[in-house]
Amino acid sequence: MALISPTVLALRRDPRLLKLPPYLSALLILVGVVWLCLLPLNEYSRHTYISENALLPGQVHTYFGGSEQNVFNAYKYEVKELAGKPQDEISNKLGEIFKSAGLRSARQKYEYQAAGITYTGENVYAILHAPRGDATEAIVLVAAWTNMDGELNQNGVALTMELARYFKRWSLWSKDIIILITADSRAGPQAWVDAYHDEHISPSVAPLPIKSGALQGVVVVDNALDHHFESIHIVYDGINGQLPNLDLFNTAVSIASGQLGMRVALQRMWKHDDSYRERLQTMLRGMVRQGLGHSSGPHSSFIPYHVDAITLQAVGEGGQDDMAMGRCIESIFRSLNNLLEHFHQSFFFYLLMQADRFVSIGTYLPSAMLVAVNFTIMAIALWIRSGRPPAPKLATTMPEKSSKPEVDVIQKDGMTAIVPKETITIHERQMFIPVSLVVSLHFLGVIPLYIFNNSAFETLPYYFLLFTMVNLVLPTALATFIHHQASLTPQQYLLLHSFSLLLLGMFLATLATLNFSLSLFVGLLSAPLSFIGNPFSGSVEPKDVFPSQLRKTTSSIALQLVSPPVVVSAVCYFWGTNVGEMLAEAAFGWKVNGLWMQVIVWCVWWPAWLAGSVLVSPVL
Amino acid sequence: MKYSFGPLLLSLLSCSLVLADPDYHERLNLQPLTPASLLASFNFWSKASLQSYEEQHFKYIPRSLGQILQHAKTRELHLRFSTGRWDDESWGARPWGGTKEGGTGVELWAWVEADSDAGSFARWVTLNNALSGLFCASLNFIDSTRTTRPRMTFEPASVGTNASTDNLYLLHGTLPREVVCTENLTPFLKLLPCKGKAGIASLLDGHKLFDASWQSMAIDVRSVCPADGSECSIEMEQTVDMVLDVQRSKRPRDNPIPRPVPSEGLRCDDTKPYAGSDFCYPSDISNGQSWTIAEIFGRPIQGSCLAEDSNGNPLDSVYIDVPNEREMYITSGTENKHLSGTCRSFTLPKSEPFEMVLSHLGPQTFNDHTTPPLYASRSFTGHGQERGGVQTLLTNPSLTSSISFVYFETLPWFMKLYLHTLTARLSTSSTPNPCLIKEKFYRPALDRRRGTQLELLISVPANSTVILTYDFDKAILRYTEYPPDANRGFDVAPAVIRLLSNDKKAPVYIRTTSLLLPLPTPDFSMPYNVIILTSTVMALAFGMIFNLLVRRFVGADEVEGWDVAALKAKLRGGVMVLRDKMMKKGGKGRKSINSSCGN
Repeated sequence: MALISPTVLALRRDPRLLKLPPYLSALLILVGVVWLCLLPLNEYSRHTYISENALLPGQVHTYFGGSEQNVFNAYKYEVKELAGKPQDEISNKLGEIFKSAGLRSARQKYEYQAAGITYTGENVYAILHAPRGDATEAIVLVAAWTNMDGELNQNGVALTMELARYFKRWSLWSKDIIILITADSRAGPQAWVDAYHDEHISPSVAPLPIKSGALQGVVVVDNALDHHFESIHIVYDGINGQLPNLDLFNTAVSIASGQLGMRVALQRMWKHDDSYRERLQTMLRGMVRQGLGHSSGPHSSFIPYHVDAITLQAVGEGGQDDMAMGRCIESIFRSLNNLLEHFHQSFFFYLLMQADRFVSIGTYLPSAMLVAVNFTIMAIALWIRSGRPPAPKLATTMPEKSSKPEVDVIQKDGMTAIVPKETITIHERQMFIPVSLVVSLHFLGVIPLYIFNNSAFETLPYYFLLFTMVNLVLPTALATFIHHQASLTPQQYLLLHSFSLLLLGMFLATLATLNFSLSLFVGLLSAPLSFIGNPFSGSVEPKDVFPSQLRKTTSSIALQLVSPPVVVSAVCYFWGTNVGEMLAEAAFGWKVNGLWMQVIVWCVWWPAWLAGSVLVSPVL
Repeated sequence: MKYSFGPLLLSLLSCSLVLADPDYHERLNLQPLTPASLLASFNFWSKASLQSYEEQHFKYIPRSLGQILQHAKTRELHLRFSTGRWDDESWGARPWGGTKEGGTGVELWAWVEADSDAGSFARWVTLNNALSGLFCASLNFIDSTRTTRPRMTFEPASVGTNASTDNLYLLHGTLPREVVCTENLTPFLKLLPCKGKAGIASLLDGHKLFDASWQSMAIDVRSVCPADGSECSIEMEQTVDMVLDVQRSKRPRDNPIPRPVPSEGLRCDDTKPYAGSDFCYPSDISNGQSWTIAEIFGRPIQGSCLAEDSNGNPLDSVYIDVPNEREMYITSGTENKHLSGTCRSFTLPKSEPFEMVLSHLGPQTFNDHTTPPLYASRSFTGHGQERGGVQTLLTNPSLTSSISFVYFETLPWFMKLYLHTLTARLSTSSTPNPCLIKEKFYRPALDRRRGTQLELLISVPANSTVILTYDFDKAILRYTEYPPDANRGFDVAPAVIRLLSNDKKAPVYIRTTSLLLPLPTPDFSMPYNVIILTSTVMALAFGMIFNLLVRRFVGADEVEGWDVAALKAKLRGGVMVLRDKMMKKGGKGRKSINSSCGN
């Protein structure tokens, strides 16, 4: 220690060391992105496999078919007849069909308000008691009356009710089977699963009159097609980017493709020829869904309750009929029935790039972590820089009067050294203004969060436009205000930047373990924040710290391009949706599903962006 | 509350029984339930005088059980094996008023004679261990954490004994996770005088019994000392109740798979406008039931078993609850329609098989089912691994009278109940109503030593629902405390509800379903992997270090070359060794001689 400490001490003051962090940060971002792009390669991704041996997917013979088709046809006719009828009539008919199958049914009314729109409906469900069961565990078969696109899920509902009749005849069920017909695909399942765990909002959501045991798995059937389908599209994203256990997904894939010979698609990749490009595309689509974290089907609402759920959606035109879909569900239910324990064996954090290839968290996490770490490194660098003394005066030919530097005698480990006083004095950091500024900017995020979650649907686009306008001038206004009230010293400027980046890095690193994709996207979009000001200079002279007027202008224009409102508008333009709809969707997620994405955007990303923009905004 | 056990309870059923007084009788009561189920209640009753019992003179009371009870000084025993759940919405009130059923799994309660609490527990453990061997059930796992001493829930069924004066202690234990199966049925049947070979017990086949939707096996032993001072006696009752799904039971054993029926076999509703060859809206399945005993139970009744009174007249042993207008056929024996018009009974032929056919001809009518006095359902609320809640819905369907009952729960110690959160409210209001819970008896849990015992006296007003809720914390267990099987969670025993009535009627019991409590669980395969990995690393390291320690290292130049001289030296060495050995042998011989001389 004694040997290396002088070297380290010397290195600590080395100006070259302070020049290193910006390059390191840039390198980390680059490595993070390249890392992500490497994932689809065979060397970095793995084949999926069934981890829970009890599942035994596809090991049973399926019997669904034959004369069940006739009953299915009748049910389908009944469902079509009911389309567009009042909710009460639909519920009555569904209850009647359940009763004729010998099942106990119940109903649940719900009503939600989000973005000024009221979502009401009534869920109808029936419980098929396991013949020898003790009501401790249950698996759920769900069909939404209308699917995510708002179409009547005629085949799905008819098939679900027909399967209920068929399952009733078997005596091998070890768990109760709950057959749930929800009125829509997003609010209905949420109301039901909330009430099942008794965490619903009273009185707008009614409690459930009958219940069963702990939910072990959920399968949703979605088939609104009026013809035979070609392949099964498995949707698996949950709220806030949570995912169901990979075993459930694998079971469905293995049964559909292995046992029944159907094609399986995911993430709307209808064509997948196993090329690098398509694997990357599938993965990125999955990441975008995960990042947005909104409900992607009736299954999404179950996942936050640690109930693993997937949606099987029939897509395309081909040779598979409803009986094949029925057999697929029968086989999945037989597998779920075998479960001795709750799903726990396989992965909960994964990225899928094909129906049978995935990367697990250990492989992909470094990518988002590297991006998050870049902010932390820059924050530390800025902190060190802010504590440095102003550089010594340049040597001049004219000898100055007090050219003799003040020195101090230091005795340590039996050694004596004479050290210039300048290098060991601590330069006090003026932290009050930077800390209070950063904290108040983060609290300022509550304003857009409140506005966008509590406005009516019609007013949302106007509010958004207004917010974008304000956001254009806000950095300059704030910078001017700060300049006139309390002009920032170079040190305060550096500290403000440092704290803002430190918070951002901390939030993103934490978020990466919960919602990898969101953390990565926010990290990449805020990457420019690391490099504002004069990052490559190690000095604390005002001219080296404060950017020049020209640089300020270009920087603030560049930052405006990656500001949250601009990115949101760009995404909406790219997807061809209306900003109002997008915001209404987000407000719905916030109110109904408990979506946290907006908190990240308005209370983490936007404050960090605002702090950065204030630093580089020209002062009027 | 004392009550006469056998006859009174039997009269609870809609058929009333005229009892002669032999020491043994059996009876089967069949009751079709809507829509397509059949309740079969088997009851075997036997009696012995207390004197002969104490002298170990056993006739109908089985020796194996009798000796256990005598050894453990057990005065009264109630043992229950149950699976499935009673669906009271569609099946109505429970058979025997719920007195002959237990919670899911195994439930046992007994009055044990002892001097002290500790002494009674020691006898209880003896009793459990002995019964565990007799019934092939894990009753020996009823330890102190699963044993409670209920205060209000159970009353002795024995007549003429006094629990306080006779030093009797009530102990109650449950095993909700126990899976009841054939190995429990076989010893149960062996206790019967005809061992399941003849009489109604010949219908008790494991395949049918354990395919039932709900099933309960009960053994009750009690002593009766009549008030008139006549001889005391010991009574034992064995009961099997099951609810069979008629459609499922009628499936032949060689083809049990419920394949879709051929299109011609579908029963369709032809009134639908689209009715045709490809469309079939199924017509109601509750249109009727027709079955024969052999179809339902797999075989007819094999003659009778001791079904005679003391004068040798045959006694009725099979009863069926159907209206008199329903057509029925029997192969032998006699039929006896009861005056009530809803019940008829049959005597069994002595040795020929007895078959009964419930015809599909004629009016397909059923007796109305009785409304249960109370509906109870219990479920967990909340989610996560840290805390949770329990919610019980108690519904009084009566429009006129309120109902009061004792609600008894035993919770495992790792479910840490917060008593201050225990509230009862009416479903119509959102604020708790303190008047609903009249009395509380609470015995808190001790970690790893005993569970929580909670007895509440609750009253529910007419036509309303009371919601009983409480919160609890989940304890973190040591990893050795998890059971060795696959970890699906821990079962919480069903709550027992005893309805209180003002008049001295027989009590009515209701049990809720059991609950599955998931606790924070370590990934058990991970320690296993870690152990394997560590062991491998240790073995490798140990091998290398051991190798290094014991190996003698010799410089390359020190190794003897392979030349003639070396060979010679080696040979010479060998010869020397051999010679030494010879010499030694000779020396040894001498020594032994010397020693013998010394002697």
